Amino acid sequence: MPCSPKAVRRARPLAKLAASMQYCTACQKAIATIVIMDLSEGAVTGSQHICQACAEQLGIGTPKPPKFSPEMLEDLLGGLKTSRARAPRTEACPGCGLAPADFRTKGRLGCPRCYETFRTELMPLLQRIHESQAHTGRLPGVMSTAPAAPDERTLTDVRKRLEDAVRGERYEEAARLRDELRRLERGQTT
Amino acid sequence: MSKRRGDKPPDFQPGTWLQGNGPESDIAICTRVRLARNLQGYPFAPCLADAESRQLYEFVVARLRQGGLPEPLSIVDLEPIDELERTVLVERHLISRELAASKRPSGVAVDTEESVAIMINEEDHLRLQVFAPGLQPEAAWRRAERLDDALIQRLPMAWSEEFGFLTSCPTNTGTGLRLSVMLHLPGLVWSEEIDKATNTAQKIHLAVRGLYGEGSRALGDFYQVSNQVTLGRDEMQIQNDVLLAVGRITQWEREVRGALLRGSARVRTLDRVHRALGTLERAQILTSEEALGCLSAIRFGLATELLDGFELAAVNRALLLSQPGHLQRHTRELLKPEERDQRRAQVLRDVLGCTP
Repeated sequence: MPCSPKAVRRARPLAKLAASMQYCTACQKAIATIVIMDLSEGAVTGSQHICQACAEQLGIGTPKPPKFSPEMLEDLLGGLKTSRARAPRTEACPGCGLAPADFRTKGRLGCPRCYETFRTELMPLLQRIHESQAHTGRLPGVMSTAPAAPDERTLTDVRKRLEDAVRGERYEEAARLRDELRRLERGQTT
Repeated sequence: MSKRRGDKPPDFQPGTWLQGNGPESDIAICTRVRLARNLQGYPFAPCLADAESRQLYEFVVARLRQGGLPEPLSIVDLEPIDELERTVLVERHLISRELAASKRPSGVAVDTEESVAIMINEEDHLRLQVFAPGLQPEAAWRRAERLDDALIQRLPMAWSEEFGFLTSCPTNTGTGLRLSVMLHLPGLVWSEEIDKATNTAQKIHLAVRGLYGEGSRALGDFYQVSNQVTLGRDEMQIQNDVLLAVGRITQWEREVRGALLRGSARVRTLDRVHRALGTLERAQILTSEEALGCLSAIRFGLATELLDGFELAAVNRALLLSQPGHLQRHTRELLKPEERDQRRAQVLRDVLGCTP
Protein backbone atom coordinates (compact mmCIF):
# COMPACT_ATOMS: atom_id res chain seq x y z
CA MET A 1 0.00 0.00 0.00
CA PRO A 2 1.45 3.39 -0.88
CA CYS A 3 2.47 5.26 2.20
CA SER A 4 4.80 8.21 2.30
CA PRO A 5 6.83 8.64 5.50
CA LYS A 6 4.94 11.82 6.34
CA ALA A 7 1.54 10.36 5.65
CA VAL A 8 -0.94 9.64 8.39
CA ARG A 9 -3.32 6.81 7.71
CA ARG A 10 -6.91 7.06 8.86
CA ALA A 11 -9.59 4.43 8.43
CA ARG A 12 -13.26 5.27 8.55
CA PRO A 13 -16.55 3.53 7.75
CA LEU A 14 -17.83 4.18 4.30
CA ALA A 15 -21.22 5.38 5.36
CA LYS A 16 -21.35 8.44 3.16
CA LEU A 17 -19.50 6.87 0.28
CA ALA A 18 -21.66 3.73 0.11
CA ALA A 19 -23.57 5.17 -2.77
CA SER A 20 -20.51 4.93 -4.99
CA MET A 21 -20.43 1.09 -4.42
CA GLN A 22 -16.76 0.56 -5.20
CA TYR A 23 -15.17 -2.88 -5.18
CA CYS A 24 -12.40 -3.69 -2.75
CA THR A 25 -9.07 -2.70 -4.29
CA ALA A 26 -7.35 -5.64 -2.48
CA CYS A 27 -9.56 -8.65 -3.34
CA GLN A 28 -11.56 -7.06 -6.20
CA LYS A 29 -14.57 -9.21 -5.13
CA ALA A 30 -16.38 -7.70 -2.22
CA ILE A 31 -17.91 -4.26 -1.99
CA ALA A 32 -15.54 -1.90 -0.25
CA THR A 33 -16.88 -0.67 3.07
CA ILE A 34 -13.78 1.06 4.37
CA VAL A 35 -11.86 3.85 2.79
CA ILE A 36 -8.24 4.43 3.74
CA MET A 37 -7.18 7.98 3.08
CA ASP A 38 -3.60 9.12 2.93
CA LEU A 39 -3.22 12.43 4.64
CA SER A 40 -0.13 14.51 4.42
CA GLU A 41 0.00 17.86 6.18
CA GLY A 42 -3.73 18.07 6.32
CA ALA A 43 -4.31 17.33 2.64
CA VAL A 44 -5.67 14.10 1.17
CA THR A 45 -2.91 12.66 -1.01
CA GLY A 46 -4.55 9.37 -1.96
CA SER A 47 -7.20 6.79 -1.00
CA GLN A 48 -7.95 3.08 -1.11
CA HIS A 49 -11.31 1.34 -0.81
CA ILE A 50 -11.28 -2.07 0.85
CA CYS A 51 -13.76 -4.59 2.22
CA GLN A 52 -14.18 -5.57 5.88
CA ALA A 53 -12.45 -9.00 5.46
CA CYS A 54 -9.37 -7.51 3.77
CA ALA A 55 -9.27 -4.74 6.34
CA GLU A 56 -9.15 -7.31 9.15
CA GLN A 57 -6.41 -9.23 7.36
CA LEU A 58 -4.47 -6.03 7.11
CA GLY A 59 -5.01 -5.40 10.81
CA ILE A 60 -7.12 -2.28 10.27
CA GLY A 61 -10.69 -3.44 11.02
CA THR A 62 -13.34 -1.48 12.85
CA PRO A 63 -11.96 0.76 15.59
CA LYS A 64 -12.49 -0.76 19.03
CA PRO A 65 -14.75 1.13 21.40
CA PRO A 66 -12.74 3.22 23.87
CA LYS A 67 -12.14 1.79 27.31
CA PHE A 68 -13.81 3.80 30.05
CA SER A 69 -11.74 4.63 33.05
CA PRO A 70 -13.62 4.67 36.39
CA GLU A 71 -13.30 8.48 36.33
CA MET A 72 -14.84 8.71 32.88
CA LEU A 73 -17.73 6.49 33.96
CA GLU A 74 -18.27 8.52 37.10
CA ASP A 75 -18.28 11.74 35.08
CA LEU A 76 -20.75 10.28 32.64
CA LEU A 77 -23.06 8.90 35.33
CA GLY A 78 -22.71 12.07 37.35
CA GLY A 79 -23.76 14.02 34.27
CA LEU A 80 -26.74 11.77 33.75
CA LYS A 81 -27.76 12.03 37.40
CA THR A 82 -27.45 15.80 37.31
CA SER A 83 -29.39 16.08 34.10
CA ARG A 84 -32.11 13.85 35.55
CA ALA A 85 -32.27 15.91 38.75
CA ARG A 86 -32.54 19.05 36.69
CA ALA A 87 -35.03 17.59 34.32
CA PRO A 88 -37.00 20.53 33.02
CA ARG A 89 -40.37 20.99 34.64
CA THR A 90 -43.24 21.65 32.35
CA GLU A 91 -45.66 23.39 34.73
CA ALA A 92 -45.56 27.11 35.40
CA CYS A 93 -46.13 28.38 38.94
CA PRO A 94 -49.89 28.42 39.68
CA GLY A 95 -49.39 31.55 41.80
CA CYS A 96 -47.81 33.85 39.25
CA GLY A 97 -47.41 31.90 36.03
CA LEU A 98 -43.59 32.00 36.13
CA ALA A 99 -42.27 29.48 33.63
CA PRO A 100 -39.62 27.02 34.82
CA ALA A 101 -37.26 28.24 32.10
CA ASP A 102 -37.57 31.83 33.39
CA PHE A 103 -36.75 30.73 36.91
CA ARG A 104 -33.70 28.85 35.67
CA THR A 105 -32.36 31.67 33.51
CA LYS A 106 -33.08 34.60 35.84
CA GLY A 107 -32.66 32.83 39.19
CA ARG A 108 -35.52 34.92 40.58
CA LEU A 109 -38.77 33.68 42.06
CA GLY A 110 -42.05 35.19 40.91
CA CYS A 111 -44.18 34.92 44.04
CA PRO A 112 -44.24 33.22 47.46
CA ARG A 113 -45.80 30.08 45.92
CA CYS A 114 -42.77 29.65 43.64
CA TYR A 115 -40.87 28.41 46.70
CA GLU A 116 -42.99 25.23 46.59
CA THR A 117 -43.44 25.07 42.82
CA PHE A 118 -39.71 25.15 42.11
CA ARG A 119 -38.66 23.41 45.31
CA THR A 120 -36.60 20.73 43.53
CA GLU A 121 -34.51 23.30 41.70
CA LEU A 122 -34.47 25.77 44.58
CA MET A 123 -33.06 23.55 47.34
CA PRO A 124 -29.63 22.93 45.73
CA LEU A 125 -29.52 26.61 44.77
CA LEU A 126 -30.11 27.68 48.39
CA GLN A 127 -27.50 25.17 49.53
CA ARG A 128 -24.95 26.65 47.12
CA ILE A 129 -25.69 30.27 48.10
CA HIS A 130 -26.14 29.90 51.86
CA GLU A 131 -24.74 26.45 52.66
CA SER A 132 -28.12 25.89 54.27
CA GLN A 133 -31.68 25.05 53.25
CA ALA A 134 -33.64 26.11 56.32
CA HIS A 135 -34.29 29.38 58.12
CA THR A 136 -33.04 30.27 61.59
CA GLY A 137 -34.06 33.57 63.12
CA ARG A 138 -36.99 35.93 63.38
CA LEU A 139 -40.40 35.13 62.04
CA PRO A 140 -43.68 37.00 62.33
CA GLY A 141 -45.18 35.87 65.64
CA VAL A 142 -41.75 35.39 67.21
CA MET A 143 -40.89 39.05 67.33
CA SER A 144 -38.83 41.01 69.77
CA THR A 145 -41.77 42.96 71.13
CA ALA A 146 -44.03 39.93 71.48
CA PRO A 147 -43.36 37.41 74.29
CA ALA A 148 -41.65 34.37 72.84
CA ALA A 149 -44.43 31.87 72.22
CA PRO A 150 -43.66 28.20 72.83
CA ASP A 151 -44.49 27.29 69.29
CA GLU A 152 -43.59 24.23 67.28
CA ARG A 153 -40.38 25.90 66.21
CA THR A 154 -39.14 26.27 69.81
CA LEU A 155 -40.19 22.70 70.58
CA THR A 156 -38.25 21.42 67.59
CA ASP A 157 -35.23 23.44 68.65
CA VAL A 158 -35.30 22.14 72.23
CA ARG A 159 -35.82 18.55 71.05
CA LYS A 160 -32.80 18.88 68.79
CA ARG A 161 -30.66 20.35 71.58
CA LEU A 162 -31.80 17.53 73.90
CA GLU A 163 -30.79 14.90 71.34
CA ASP A 164 -27.42 16.59 70.91
CA ALA A 165 -26.88 16.69 74.67
CA VAL A 166 -27.73 12.99 75.04
CA ARG A 167 -25.51 12.08 72.11
CA GLY A 168 -22.70 14.12 73.64
CA GLU A 169 -23.32 12.47 77.05
CA ARG A 170 -23.94 15.88 78.66
CA TYR A 171 -26.52 14.49 81.06
CA GLU A 172 -26.99 17.54 83.28
CA GLU A 173 -27.79 19.69 80.25
CA ALA A 174 -30.01 16.92 78.89
CA ALA A 175 -32.02 16.76 82.12
CA ARG A 176 -32.50 20.52 82.07
CA LEU A 177 -33.61 20.43 78.43
CA ARG A 178 -35.96 17.51 79.13
CA ASP A 179 -37.66 19.58 81.86
CA GLU A 180 -37.82 22.59 79.54
CA LEU A 181 -39.36 20.44 76.83
CA ARG A 182 -42.02 19.14 79.24
CA ARG A 183 -42.89 22.66 80.31
CA LEU A 184 -43.13 23.78 76.69
CA GLU A 185 -45.30 20.82 75.76
CA ARG A 186 -47.64 21.73 78.60
CA GLY A 187 -47.78 25.26 77.18
CA GLN A 188 -45.85 26.98 79.95
CA THR A 189 -43.12 29.47 79.23
CA THR A 190 -39.78 29.20 80.99
CA MET B 1 -32.84 63.67 31.52
CA SER B 2 -36.60 63.80 31.80
CA LYS B 3 -38.29 67.10 32.48
CA ARG B 4 -39.45 67.76 36.01
CA ARG B 5 -43.03 66.95 36.72
CA GLY B 6 -44.79 67.33 40.02
CA ASP B 7 -43.63 68.86 43.23
CA LYS B 8 -40.14 69.10 44.56
CA PRO B 9 -39.45 66.40 47.17
CA PRO B 10 -38.76 67.50 50.74
CA ASP B 11 -35.36 69.11 51.15
CA PHE B 12 -33.75 66.57 53.44
CA GLN B 13 -31.33 67.48 56.18
CA PRO B 14 -27.94 65.84 55.79
CA GLY B 15 -28.13 62.17 56.78
CA THR B 16 -26.91 61.11 60.19
CA TRP B 17 -24.31 58.87 58.58
CA LEU B 18 -22.49 62.07 57.57
CA GLN B 19 -21.95 63.21 61.13
CA GLY B 20 -18.70 61.31 61.51
CA ASN B 21 -19.27 60.85 65.23
CA GLY B 22 -20.15 57.19 65.80
CA PRO B 23 -17.95 54.52 67.35
CA GLU B 24 -14.78 53.80 65.33
CA SER B 25 -15.64 56.72 63.07
CA ASP B 26 -11.97 57.18 62.11
CA ILE B 27 -12.43 54.05 59.98
CA ALA B 28 -16.12 53.10 60.01
CA ILE B 29 -18.21 55.70 58.19
CA CYS B 30 -21.58 54.13 58.80
CA THR B 31 -23.50 50.94 59.45
CA ARG B 32 -26.55 49.96 57.45
CA VAL B 33 -29.17 47.31 58.17
CA ARG B 34 -31.42 46.29 55.30
CA LEU B 35 -34.42 43.97 55.54
CA ALA B 36 -36.16 42.55 52.47
CA ARG B 37 -39.89 41.92 52.97
CA ASN B 38 -42.78 40.95 50.70
CA LEU B 39 -46.54 40.88 51.06
CA GLN B 40 -48.70 37.77 50.89
CA GLY B 41 -51.18 37.56 48.06
CA TYR B 42 -49.14 39.45 45.46
CA PRO B 43 -46.47 38.30 43.02
CA PHE B 44 -43.02 39.75 43.81
CA ALA B 45 -42.51 43.27 42.45
CA PRO B 46 -40.75 42.38 39.15
CA CYS B 47 -43.67 40.08 38.23
CA LEU B 48 -46.48 42.49 39.16
CA ALA B 49 -48.82 43.69 36.45
CA ASP B 50 -49.18 47.50 36.29
CA ALA B 51 -52.56 47.57 38.03
CA GLU B 52 -51.40 45.22 40.80
CA SER B 53 -48.26 47.25 41.26
CA ARG B 54 -50.29 50.43 41.73
CA GLN B 55 -52.70 48.65 44.08
CA LEU B 56 -49.86 47.28 46.21
CA TYR B 57 -48.13 50.67 46.37
CA GLU B 58 -51.30 52.41 47.50
CA PHE B 59 -52.08 49.68 50.03
CA VAL B 60 -48.62 49.95 51.61
CA VAL B 61 -48.69 53.75 51.65
CA ALA B 62 -52.14 53.75 53.30
CA ARG B 63 -50.94 51.37 55.99
CA LEU B 64 -47.78 53.41 56.62
CA ARG B 65 -49.89 56.55 56.96
CA GLN B 66 -52.07 54.98 59.63
CA GLY B 67 -49.64 56.31 62.20
CA GLY B 68 -48.33 54.64 65.31
CA LEU B 69 -45.02 53.66 63.70
CA PRO B 70 -42.03 53.81 66.08
CA GLU B 71 -40.86 56.86 64.12
CA PRO B 72 -42.64 59.36 61.91
CA LEU B 73 -41.90 58.88 58.23
CA SER B 74 -42.60 61.06 55.18
CA ILE B 75 -43.51 59.27 51.99
CA VAL B 76 -41.87 60.42 48.78
CA ASP B 77 -43.72 59.24 45.68
CA LEU B 78 -41.06 58.59 43.04
CA GLU B 79 -43.40 58.73 40.07
CA PRO B 80 -43.37 62.54 39.65
CA ILE B 81 -39.68 62.76 40.49
CA ASP B 82 -37.25 63.28 37.64
CA GLU B 83 -33.99 61.50 36.98
CA LEU B 84 -31.81 64.14 38.64
CA GLU B 85 -33.73 64.07 41.92
CA ARG B 86 -33.72 60.28 41.84
CA THR B 87 -29.92 60.39 41.44
CA VAL B 88 -29.72 62.66 44.48
CA LEU B 89 -31.74 60.11 46.49
CA VAL B 90 -29.40 57.33 45.31
CA GLU B 91 -26.34 59.35 46.33
CA ARG B 92 -27.90 59.84 49.76
CA HIS B 93 -28.38 56.04 49.97
CA LEU B 94 -32.14 56.47 50.41
CA ILE B 95 -33.06 54.50 47.30
CA SER B 96 -31.18 51.94 45.22
CA ARG B 97 -30.06 52.44 41.63
CA GLU B 98 -32.58 49.75 40.66
CA LEU B 99 -35.46 51.66 42.24
CA ALA B 100 -34.28 54.91 40.64
CA ALA B 101 -34.44 53.22 37.22
CA SER B 102 -37.78 51.53 37.91
CA LYS B 103 -40.92 52.45 35.98
CA ARG B 104 -43.22 50.79 38.53
CA PRO B 105 -45.29 52.92 40.94
CA SER B 106 -42.77 53.21 43.75
CA GLY B 107 -41.72 55.38 46.61
CA VAL B 108 -39.66 55.72 49.72
CA ALA B 109 -40.66 56.49 53.30
CA VAL B 110 -37.95 58.44 55.12
CA ASP B 111 -37.46 60.08 58.49
CA THR B 112 -36.26 63.65 58.83
CA GLU B 113 -32.72 62.56 59.75
CA GLU B 114 -32.44 60.25 56.73
CA SER B 115 -31.53 57.42 59.04
CA VAL B 116 -34.52 55.30 58.06
CA ALA B 117 -35.72 54.62 54.54
CA ILE B 118 -38.35 52.11 53.44
CA MET B 119 -38.29 51.52 49.71
CA ILE B 120 -41.65 50.44 48.29
CA ASN B 121 -41.87 48.26 45.16
CA GLU B 122 -38.17 47.67 44.72
CA GLU B 123 -37.09 44.12 43.83
CA ASP B 124 -38.94 43.19 47.01
CA HIS B 125 -42.19 44.92 47.98
CA LEU B 126 -40.47 46.52 50.96
CA ARG B 127 -36.84 47.16 51.64
CA LEU B 128 -36.34 48.65 55.05
CA GLN B 129 -33.03 50.38 55.69
CA VAL B 130 -31.64 51.86 58.88
CA PHE B 131 -28.39 53.84 59.00
CA ALA B 132 -26.23 54.66 62.00
CA PRO B 133 -22.99 56.65 62.00
CA GLY B 134 -19.78 54.70 62.68
CA LEU B 135 -19.80 51.06 63.67
CA GLN B 136 -23.14 50.41 65.39
CA PRO B 137 -24.62 47.15 64.11
CA GLU B 138 -26.56 46.42 67.27
CA ALA B 139 -28.15 49.86 67.55
CA ALA B 140 -29.05 49.85 63.86
CA TRP B 141 -30.45 46.33 64.16
CA ARG B 142 -32.61 47.14 67.20
CA ARG B 143 -34.10 50.12 65.40
CA ALA B 144 -34.75 48.07 62.27
CA GLU B 145 -36.29 45.29 64.37
CA ARG B 146 -38.74 47.69 66.03
CA LEU B 147 -39.77 49.09 62.66
CA ASP B 148 -40.05 45.61 61.20
CA ASP B 149 -42.32 44.56 64.08
CA ALA B 150 -44.53 47.57 63.36
CA LEU B 151 -44.65 46.75 59.64
CA ILE B 152 -45.48 43.10 60.36
CA GLN B 153 -48.41 44.24 62.50
CA ARG B 154 -49.73 46.41 59.67
CA LEU B 155 -48.97 44.33 56.60
CA PRO B 156 -49.43 40.60 55.86
CA MET B 157 -45.84 39.48 55.19
CA ALA B 158 -44.91 36.46 53.08
CA TRP B 159 -42.98 33.92 55.12
CA SER B 160 -42.72 30.24 55.87
CA GLU B 161 -41.46 28.29 58.83
CA GLU B 162 -38.97 26.52 56.60
CA PHE B 163 -37.60 29.37 54.48
CA GLY B 164 -38.20 32.38 56.73
CA PHE B 165 -39.04 35.61 54.91
CA LEU B 166 -39.73 34.87 51.24
CA THR B 167 -37.92 37.15 48.82
CA SER B 168 -37.76 37.62 45.09
CA CYS B 169 -34.10 36.60 44.90
CA PRO B 170 -32.95 33.46 46.73
CA THR B 171 -29.83 35.34 47.86
CA ASN B 172 -32.03 37.23 50.38
CA THR B 173 -34.27 34.38 51.54
CA GLY B 174 -34.47 33.70 55.28
CA THR B 175 -33.71 36.68 57.45
CA GLY B 176 -33.75 39.06 54.46
CA LEU B 177 -31.03 40.85 56.41
CA ARG B 178 -28.07 42.53 54.80
CA LEU B 179 -25.81 44.18 57.34
CA SER B 180 -23.20 46.46 55.78
CA VAL B 181 -20.45 48.55 57.27
CA MET B 182 -18.85 51.27 55.13
CA LEU B 183 -15.15 51.44 55.88
CA HIS B 184 -12.43 53.91 54.96
CA LEU B 185 -9.24 51.91 54.45
CA PRO B 186 -6.51 54.17 53.02
CA GLY B 187 -3.79 52.54 55.15
CA LEU B 188 -4.49 49.09 53.71
CA VAL B 189 -4.75 50.44 50.17
CA TRP B 190 -1.61 52.58 50.33
CA SER B 191 0.43 49.75 51.83
CA GLU B 192 -1.02 47.29 49.29
CA GLU B 193 -2.42 45.02 52.01
CA ILE B 194 -6.02 45.51 50.96
CA ASP B 195 -6.36 42.27 49.00
CA LYS B 196 -5.18 40.23 51.98
CA ALA B 197 -7.62 42.08 54.23
CA THR B 198 -10.59 41.56 51.93
CA ASN B 199 -9.70 37.86 51.59
CA THR B 200 -10.02 37.57 55.38
CA ALA B 201 -13.62 38.74 55.16
CA GLN B 202 -14.40 36.62 52.11
CA LYS B 203 -13.21 33.49 53.94
CA ILE B 204 -16.20 33.79 56.26
CA HIS B 205 -18.57 34.42 53.35
CA LEU B 206 -18.74 38.19 53.60
CA ALA B 207 -18.82 40.41 50.54
CA VAL B 208 -16.34 43.27 50.21
CA ARG B 209 -16.91 45.82 47.49
CA GLY B 210 -16.10 49.42 46.73
CA LEU B 211 -18.47 52.03 48.04
CA TYR B 212 -17.91 54.31 45.06
CA GLY B 213 -17.14 53.36 41.50
CA GLU B 214 -18.38 50.51 39.37
CA GLY B 215 -17.27 46.89 39.55
CA SER B 216 -14.52 45.72 41.84
CA ARG B 217 -12.54 48.94 41.72
CA ALA B 218 -12.93 50.94 44.92
CA LEU B 219 -12.51 54.68 44.44
CA GLY B 220 -11.24 56.81 47.31
CA ASP B 221 -10.33 53.76 49.45
CA PHE B 222 -13.96 53.35 50.61
CA TYR B 223 -15.22 49.81 51.04
CA GLN B 224 -18.41 48.11 52.11
CA VAL B 225 -18.33 44.84 54.08
CA SER B 226 -21.59 42.89 54.25
CA ASN B 227 -22.95 39.43 54.94
CA GLN B 228 -23.87 37.24 51.99
CA VAL B 229 -25.61 34.44 53.84
CA THR B 230 -29.18 35.18 54.89
CA LEU B 231 -30.49 31.63 55.35
CA GLY B 232 -29.49 29.28 58.17
CA ARG B 233 -27.85 31.98 60.30
CA ASP B 234 -29.95 34.12 62.58
CA GLU B 235 -29.74 37.88 62.96
CA MET B 236 -27.36 37.73 65.93
CA GLN B 237 -25.04 35.31 64.16
CA ILE B 238 -24.99 37.55 61.10
CA GLN B 239 -24.10 40.54 63.29
CA ASN B 240 -21.31 38.55 64.90
CA ASP B 241 -19.95 37.45 61.52
CA VAL B 242 -19.83 41.02 60.25
CA LEU B 243 -18.42 42.38 63.51
CA LEU B 244 -15.71 39.72 63.53
CA ALA B 245 -14.52 40.62 60.04
CA VAL B 246 -14.87 44.36 60.54
CA GLY B 247 -13.00 44.10 63.86
CA ARG B 248 -10.09 42.34 62.18
CA ILE B 249 -10.01 44.74 59.26
CA THR B 250 -10.15 47.88 61.44
CA GLN B 251 -7.41 46.54 63.70
CA TRP B 252 -5.28 45.77 60.65
CA GLU B 253 -5.98 49.25 59.23
CA ARG B 254 -4.88 50.85 62.54
CA GLU B 255 -1.66 48.84 62.59
CA VAL B 256 -0.87 49.81 59.01
CA ARG B 257 -1.72 53.47 59.71
CA GLY B 258 0.74 53.33 62.62
CA ALA B 259 3.44 51.98 60.31
CA LEU B 260 2.72 54.72 57.73
CA LEU B 261 3.36 57.36 60.39
CA ARG B 262 6.69 55.94 61.59
CA GLY B 263 10.26 56.22 60.33
CA SER B 264 10.93 56.97 56.70
CA ALA B 265 7.33 56.20 55.73
CA ARG B 266 6.09 59.24 57.67
CA VAL B 267 7.42 61.85 55.27
CA ARG B 268 5.92 60.06 52.27
CA THR B 269 2.57 59.88 54.07
CA LEU B 270 2.75 63.57 54.99
CA ASP B 271 3.62 64.40 51.40
CA ARG B 272 0.63 62.45 50.14
CA VAL B 273 -1.80 64.12 52.53
CA HIS B 274 -0.51 67.65 51.86
CA ARG B 275 -0.45 67.13 48.09
CA ALA B 276 -4.13 66.19 48.34
CA LEU B 277 -4.83 69.31 50.37
CA GLY B 278 -2.92 71.43 47.84
CA THR B 279 -4.96 69.93 45.00
CA LEU B 280 -8.27 70.59 46.75
CA GLU B 281 -7.20 74.17 47.51
CA ARG B 282 -5.91 75.03 44.05
CA ALA B 283 -7.31 72.70 41.40
CA GLN B 284 -9.83 74.22 38.98
CA ILE B 285 -10.87 70.94 37.42
CA LEU B 286 -11.43 67.82 39.51
CA THR B 287 -12.71 64.51 38.21
CA SER B 288 -14.78 62.36 40.52
CA GLU B 289 -11.92 59.87 40.83
CA GLU B 290 -9.33 62.51 41.72
CA ALA B 291 -11.68 64.20 44.17
CA LEU B 292 -12.39 60.93 45.98
CA GLY B 293 -8.63 60.22 46.16
CA CYS B 294 -7.95 63.67 47.65
CA LEU B 295 -10.84 63.46 50.12
CA SER B 296 -9.62 60.04 51.21
CA ALA B 297 -6.15 61.47 51.93
CA ILE B 298 -7.65 64.42 53.85
CA ARG B 299 -9.85 62.08 55.87
CA PHE B 300 -6.79 59.97 56.66
CA GLY B 301 -4.85 63.11 57.65
CA LEU B 302 -7.61 64.18 60.06
CA ALA B 303 -8.04 60.71 61.58
CA THR B 304 -4.30 60.38 62.20
CA GLU B 305 -3.94 64.01 63.35
CA LEU B 306 -1.54 64.88 60.55
CA LEU B 307 -3.98 67.65 59.62
CA ASP B 308 -6.31 69.82 61.59
CA GLY B 309 -8.67 72.64 60.83
CA PHE B 310 -11.35 70.44 59.25
CA GLU B 311 -14.19 68.44 60.74
CA LEU B 312 -14.62 64.82 59.74
CA ALA B 313 -18.27 65.70 59.10
CA ALA B 314 -17.17 68.33 56.52
CA VAL B 315 -15.15 65.72 54.62
CA ASN B 316 -18.09 63.31 54.72
CA ARG B 317 -20.34 66.09 53.41
CA ALA B 318 -17.84 66.86 50.67
CA LEU B 319 -17.93 63.19 49.63
CA LEU B 320 -21.68 63.50 49.12
CA LEU B 321 -21.84 66.94 47.54
CA SER B 322 -19.13 66.20 44.97
CA GLN B 323 -21.24 63.48 43.35
CA PRO B 324 -22.94 64.24 40.01
CA GLY B 325 -26.56 64.46 41.21
CA HIS B 326 -25.73 66.86 44.03
CA LEU B 327 -23.42 68.94 41.82
CA GLN B 328 -26.24 69.59 39.37
CA ARG B 329 -29.02 69.81 41.88
CA HIS B 330 -29.06 73.45 42.91
CA THR B 331 -28.95 75.07 39.50
CA ARG B 332 -30.88 72.24 37.88
CA GLU B 333 -28.65 72.40 34.84
CA LEU B 334 -27.54 69.32 33.00
CA LEU B 335 -23.78 69.81 32.96
CA LYS B 336 -21.26 68.29 30.58
CA PRO B 337 -18.61 66.15 32.32
CA GLU B 338 -15.94 68.89 32.07
CA GLU B 339 -18.36 71.46 33.48
CA ARG B 340 -19.14 69.08 36.33
CA ASP B 341 -15.43 68.72 37.05
CA GLN B 342 -15.09 72.52 37.26
CA ARG B 343 -18.06 72.82 39.56
CA ARG B 344 -16.77 69.95 41.70
CA ALA B 345 -13.50 71.81 42.31
CA GLN B 346 -15.45 74.90 43.38
CA VAL B 347 -17.94 73.01 45.59
CA LEU B 348 -15.17 71.15 47.40
CA ARG B 349 -13.35 74.41 48.17
CA ASP B 350 -16.59 75.86 49.54
CA VAL B 351 -17.58 72.83 51.62
CA LEU B 352 -14.14 72.40 53.13
CA GLY B 353 -13.61 76.15 53.46
CA CYS B 354 -10.10 75.72 52.10
CA THR B 355 -9.96 78.57 49.58
CA PRO B 356 -6.32 79.72 49.66
